[in-house]
Amino acid sequence: MSLFTPNGLLGSSSLDKPTEPVPEAPPLFTLNGYLGPLSASALGSSKPAEPPSFTLNGHLGPLSASSGSSKPLESPAAPSFTLDGPSSSLAGPSKQFTPNGLLSDPQTDVRPTFTFTPNGLLGSQDDDDDDLPTVAEAFGIPTTLPARAESAQTTPEYAPRFSVRATTFDGKTMYLKRKPKVSHLNRTKAPLGNFKERMGNLLDVPIHRLMEGLSVDTANKLQEADRQAAASASAPEESPEDTLWVDRYRPRQFTDLMGNERVARETMEWVKQWDWCVFGKTKGKKRPRDDDEAFDAADEYHRPREKLLLLSGPPGLGKTTLAHVVARQAGYEVMEINASDARSGSVIDDRIRPALESGCAVGSTKPVLLIIDEIDGATGAGENACRPGKGRDPNAKRPILRPIICICNDQNAASLVKLRAHSLQIRFARPADIHTVKRLREVCEIEGLKADSRALTTLVGIARGDLRGCLNTLQFIKSRSQEVTEAVIRGATVGMKEAETSLVSVLNSLFTPLTRKRVKELALTEADEKMYVGRLSREVDGCGRENSIAVGCFAHYPTLHQHDANFSRYEKANEWLVTFDMLSASMYSNGGDFALNQYLPYTLVPFYPLFKERGGQRVERSQADWESLVRTRANEEIYKSLSRCLQTASTRRGGDFRHLVSTPILQLEFAPYINRIISPPLRPVNSQVIKPEERAVLTRLVDIMSTLELQFYQERAEDGQLTYRLDPAIDVFVTYDGKRTADIAVSRYAVRHLVAGEIEAQLISRKVDIVERAKRGKHDFFGKPAAKNQDQEPFSSPTKAAEGDAPGPPNKRVRTEAAVVDIADKPPTDFFGRLITGTSLSTTKAAERKNVEKKYRVTYRFKEGNSAAVRKPIKMQAFM
Amino acid sequence: MSFWWSAHKNASGARCRPRALDDLHYHPSLSARLKSLAASGDFPHTYALLRTIRHWEEDTVTCTLRQLFGPGVEKVKIDQCVFLSPLKRKIEVNIVQSNFHIEITPSEAGNYDRVMIQELLKEIAQTQQVDLNAKQRFKVVIINEADSLSRDAQAALRRTMETDMSNMRIILCANSTSWLIAPIKSRCLLLRVAAPSDTEMQTVLTRVARRTCFDLPPEAAQEIIKDSGGNLRKAILVLEALKMQSPDLSGPLTIAKPDWETYCQKVAVLVVTKQTPARVMEIRTKFYELLSHCIPPTVILKAGLTVAEGIVSQVDKTLKAEIMHWAALYLCAEVRMRIGSKKIYHLETWVVKVMSLYKQSFYQFDISKFE
Repeated sequence: MSLFTPNGLLGSSSLDKPTEPVPEAPPLFTLNGYLGPLSASALGSSKPAEPPSFTLNGHLGPLSASSGSSKPLESPAAPSFTLDGPSSSLAGPSKQFTPNGLLSDPQTDVRPTFTFTPNGLLGSQDDDDDDLPTVAEAFGIPTTLPARAESAQTTPEYAPRFSVRATTFDGKTMYLKRKPKVSHLNRTKAPLGNFKERMGNLLDVPIHRLMEGLSVDTANKLQEADRQAAASASAPEESPEDTLWVDRYRPRQFTDLMGNERVARETMEWVKQWDWCVFGKTKGKKRPRDDDEAFDAADEYHRPREKLLLLSGPPGLGKTTLAHVVARQAGYEVMEINASDARSGSVIDDRIRPALESGCAVGSTKPVLLIIDEIDGATGAGENACRPGKGRDPNAKRPILRPIICICNDQNAASLVKLRAHSLQIRFARPADIHTVKRLREVCEIEGLKADSRALTTLVGIARGDLRGCLNTLQFIKSRSQEVTEAVIRGATVGMKEAETSLVSVLNSLFTPLTRKRVKELALTEADEKMYVGRLSREVDGCGRENSIAVGCFAHYPTLHQHDANFSRYEKANEWLVTFDMLSASMYSNGGDFALNQYLPYTLVPFYPLFKERGGQRVERSQADWESLVRTRANEEIYKSLSRCLQTASTRRGGDFRHLVSTPILQLEFAPYINRIISPPLRPVNSQVIKPEERAVLTRLVDIMSTLELQFYQERAEDGQLTYRLDPAIDVFVTYDGKRTADIAVSRYAVRHLVAGEIEAQLISRKVDIVERAKRGKHDFFGKPAAKNQDQEPFSSPTKAAEGDAPGPPNKRVRTEAAVVDIADKPPTDFFGRLITGTSLSTTKAAERKNVEKKYRVTYRFKEGNSAAVRKPIKMQAFM
Repeated sequence: MSFWWSAHKNASGARCRPRALDDLHYHPSLSARLKSLAASGDFPHTYALLRTIRHWEEDTVTCTLRQLFGPGVEKVKIDQCVFLSPLKRKIEVNIVQSNFHIEITPSEAGNYDRVMIQELLKEIAQTQQVDLNAKQRFKVVIINEADSLSRDAQAALRRTMETDMSNMRIILCANSTSWLIAPIKSRCLLLRVAAPSDTEMQTVLTRVARRTCFDLPPEAAQEIIKDSGGNLRKAILVLEALKMQSPDLSGPLTIAKPDWETYCQKVAVLVVTKQTPARVMEIRTKFYELLSHCIPPTVILKAGLTVAEGIVSQVDKTLKAEIMHWAALYLCAEVRMRIGSKKIYHLETWVVKVMSLYKQSFYQFDISKFE
């Protein structure tokens, strides 16, 4: 007994450094065999999660009794107790353990988990020991290790033998003293004498400090209780404005969700479909039915077919709340990114992708569910950045294994185009007003607002079902009065969002007066209703697309069936449109004078007094203007290519036609007449048998067309008929309302075919000319037409080559010259109704070429390395 | 090949377009004047004012240049030039230039003609003529369609015209001076190139015909001239089209009007014959069609006006005052249209105005009193 002299160092030093008890611990702990709980507390302090305070160690029989333990006191030991733990241990060099005041202190105040855990010393039953969660057990040391009471009383030298080596999560090694199992026998003669010494060891904080701390704690507790009491008592009066009502009455559970039950259920269903993937097989649906559409049978992860959920709907209906509630209910950790976060690629890389791939957020065990809020606000880079996160990116092959919910207001937003195909879209609709009103009334009751339901209905009407807006308005009203009446509502909602400001809705409100219902909803008086300017201009301004609205007005007003005998209203309307145009034009030209922007809406408002019409047809978006714009663009392109042709031609000709290119002349004079010039009434005969005067016309035509690089291209129409298309398609300029002018003869297929062939020939001969000129024109051989024909073939363009190849069958038949002549007069089908397009000139030419090849067979051999050679252009003739 | 109009060579290799001032077959007095100016060695800034679109000013200008510099001006090349607009947009324009002159069409640059004028002219003005053999020490800048220059561009032109006189002369070609600002007008010598008279045109046409080896019957020539309204370029284009359509030029000639003109006339008839909202819609689609063919709205308006005027004056000779009114409307609409961007509004405004006026005058009283 006396072996254990209290040296005072032990307890304090071991507890002074609770975080690193490891090296010193074994020798210290060996001192008393009973310090299982102590060591546990030392360990516990390294695990901050469970700081045990007031751990009673085994010697406190009387104490346990005093604190209401049902165990009978067996040992006559003096009541002693050890309060160990990080903050408190009872000082005790005193040999006599008189119960001090601490005992009476309600230990229940302190963590109840570790208080009064009686260890084996007290209890008569062995299983008392087992109740105690010793550290050794916690670390998985076999309980069968020999533990004797003797060992407890052995000298420190023995101690290491009974200590157990364990490794913490940090990798530190620690030695644990095994708590001995105490038998009944030696429990009675338990080392009571040790008490005094051990008590001394355990103290590290002086008792007065402990007392102080306790009293402070108590005081705090009391204060807290007071405060709570006060708060709960005065909740209606002054809980105020530290939280928004919106937050206070936010639904917390799935059952709290209001309205839109179908939507909520659908969302939940979708999230639940992920269970198989996220939580494993066991937790998921029993078995995805084969006919279940939502499941993708091919998917090894059994995910729903749409990997994304897109919630869309007007603001304030609780989309975000729904997503959060559902996610929480389904057991997910929510990870949210919204418009206030940077949605760049780096964010996706840094935060979202790791979370999605590892499946849970940092420091959480729950699987993560990603909510991308306000996704329609993502533009440009953000939109692109979102995409890899969706896991469909081909270079990010890893499949997406966690549900993603996207939330937006406008499901047709441009930035969502790519997402829409892959997402299940759930549209939020405005819940029935009656639900909203009911919820509002509940809120009013709780908050002590006296609200009549008419006023609330008005409020909901004005807000268009936006519950958030309603709550905010109510809270705002509350700050001034306790009464909610219609008048108050009207006063509070001035300037609240009045309408969705889509283009069509703005147009409709410009052309139709307010409906009675809407007037009532907005709670407008008669006088208010008449003051339309402010309302409409705000609406137009809110839409922000004045130009489109103007076009819409322009398109719509003549369709109205109002009698307007002398066009006075039309005149006025047009005047306003013109004013609008002048303003907007001067806004955009000259560097932009956007100060005018604020006046633009007012130039459109006059359509209301001029044309408002109850029950008129709804405004449809007119496509006429857009179509005309598209056509203009297309025609401008044609003009551009025509002028390019003209320019190249004029460059070649010394700049002679350059004046034709200038703007009005090209359109007004050149375009109509060039069409007439290039469509002479030619007879479709073969160029060989043509009359001389026609020949002249043809030559000239070909000359003009080849200079201007106008060409006929063969094309197959939808019905399989071959046609020749003019390129650039300048014939659109003589085509108005889809009809060509009568004075230009429709050029027939055969004629065009003939001309096309000639142009081809001309272009080729020109090329040859250039080549010739490069050779300084020594040989005049190529000037001969026959030779030209033979030489043309290799150069001929792919269209011509294709032409020659395409019509296989009639080749033999048309070998003769006579057949060729016949064909020119025919439509492009032969006797059997087959197309015989390529059979004329080119085929014969091809045939001719074959003959030519037979006659002169020339072989070349290239001798590499013969560097002494002189390069010189030379004619094939020289080799013959 | 080529068009007879601009034509260079035809089958016989003759030249149709005049090259020297002496070759100009019309305006002998103008030619003489230009010749003396060119000879004096102190050629002033000029602007050729040309009545309406029907003219022939390019030839006048080119011939003057030839007089100034000799045949070197005929060696032109066409370049594409790229400017950066203040908003870093690229603007491409075509520039015709020889060693002695440069020809630009600022309207190609649209709203950014100021940038074009500034950059190009500065560059030219600050470089001296490098060719020692050049007859003149200056280069000539020809600005086509000067009446479509924006105010800014004209302002940009002002100072350059004065300070860099030693290196550069400017010839502005315009259809009317009303859009030129006064400071520019005062810096220029005004030359008015009138439309050629009928006889002058006939000479030109027969000449063209002779060069291309056929005989132009005088009645056909008369027909063409009457139709062309003094626009020689149009006359020659028509002649060529006719020749292609019916090679012998015999028989009754039907001279085709340009399609857009026919269409405009249709529109005008529509305006005058009936005035209902449905008609307004009908006319609107026609206007869209015309605009999509890139016909300038002012031209549409004017063609329409002419026709409508004709119809009305046929119907009722007492409406002369009204016609004046319409002309005023036309001017008003034209000015606005130049400023505005959405041409269709202006066109429709004009139509509605005319309809309303017509209705009122047709019923001989003012309906508005009854409303």
